Amino acid sequence: MYKLFKCTLTGWEAVIRLSDGACIPKSEDNTDYQAYLAWLEQGNEPLPADEEQT
Amino acid sequence: MAVTINGTSGLVFNDSSTQATAATGFGFKNRIINGAMVIDQRNAGASVTQTTSAPYTLDRFYCFGSVTSKFTVQQNAGSVTPPAGFINYLGATSSSAYTVGAAEQFNIAQAIEGLNCADLAWGTASAATVTLSFLVRSSLTGTFGGALRNSATDYSYPFSYTISVANTWEQKTITITGPTSGTWLTTNGIGVYVNFSMGAGATRSGTAGSWSANNYTSATGATSVVGTNGATFYITGVQLEKGSTATSFDYRPYGTELQLCQRYYESTAFPDAGFGIGATRIGVCLTTTAFSTGFNFLVPKRTNSPTVTLYSRNGNSGKVSLISTGADVSGTSTVSNLGGTGFWGVALGASQTAGAGIETGWTASAEL
Repeated sequence: MYKLFKCTLTGWEAVIRLSDGACIPKSEDNTDYQAYLAWLEQGNEPLPADEEQT
Repeated sequence: MAVTINGTSGLVFNDSSTQATAATGFGFKNRIINGAMVIDQRNAGASVTQTTSAPYTLDRFYCFGSVTSKFTVQQNAGSVTPPAGFINYLGATSSSAYTVGAAEQFNIAQAIEGLNCADLAWGTASAATVTLSFLVRSSLTGTFGGALRNSATDYSYPFSYTISVANTWEQKTITITGPTSGTWLTTNGIGVYVNFSMGAGATRSGTAGSWSANNYTSATGATSVVGTNGATFYITGVQLEKGSTATSFDYRPYGTELQLCQRYYESTAFPDAGFGIGATRIGVCLTTTAFSTGFNFLVPKRTNSPTVTLYSRNGNSGKVSLISTGADVSGTSTVSNLGGTGFWGVALGASQTAGAGIETGWTASAEL
């Protein structure tokens, strides 16, 4: 399971892997992000980002 | 006594020392990182079970299998005496007697970054010959296999070697003519996979000793380690060097080897045995939900997008600690504004008093 992340101060975005809290930048260079994309392709959806995060 | 050259000893210097083989260059002679198996940041000597997700074992070496849990990997598994000149080895142990399917593969492998092998000029008419050497010991005997592959895994070179005596360290050398075809990255992506097979099906096995446009992971007829329950496969002294001669192992300083590994993965808990004082960094809450302090990685990463996981002093992932009490902040805390050299923010899992001191350690991974 994943959750989206966005820094409201800078607009920087990432994906949080909820099993261990890992912060995964949105970059296809990142093998964890590749795994997230594969997870999406299986029809899964991440949790939305919180309203206020900095 | 003068310096002499002869066909037996090679160069004989006037102090009677000899050099039997030609020097193949200095400085990063060995393109394999952690070939002496000394660095184990993730597991600190604990066993790793092979999965389909290719978990990392000792630094830079991962284990993969088409079906999960067919072997385990552990630094110095079985506690046998390492070969002379080494204190560590990577030890794989088969977990069952598994019959490998035709399209299946089981490997221990290292992906070499393209920037670290660009000079080989593979895929061109100037492709350089390389030599792979290693020390290996197995409870099984016979022909074993492996392969070199490109990043797209559509071009490969199966190789084979023979283990003659069970449970005995043996030195192996394989010289490989560089491929003049295929696509080989010279970027910070994968330059070449060096693959030691634990078992491969018929469609993953090819004729040893030649390049082809196939995804071979082993040589035809090679022994399947995962086919025998409890079978062991130990390896160390892995070296891939330019040239047609295997030279002595490039024994780099420990600190240098660690930093080479940390380009791909680092943990503030290493070499400390956990995320206690010294393995954590501190910051102060600017707001009730975040603290912003610049944290530099120990070593800049391979990419500007590593995966970063925070750890509390109690060793819990996705957590940070309050300095005042040492307790974990509840919820999941995460880094923000992350790049290849560090990050400068942490979003807290739960609100705290502005000005509260926060403590955290991390792991950062930019593996290939």
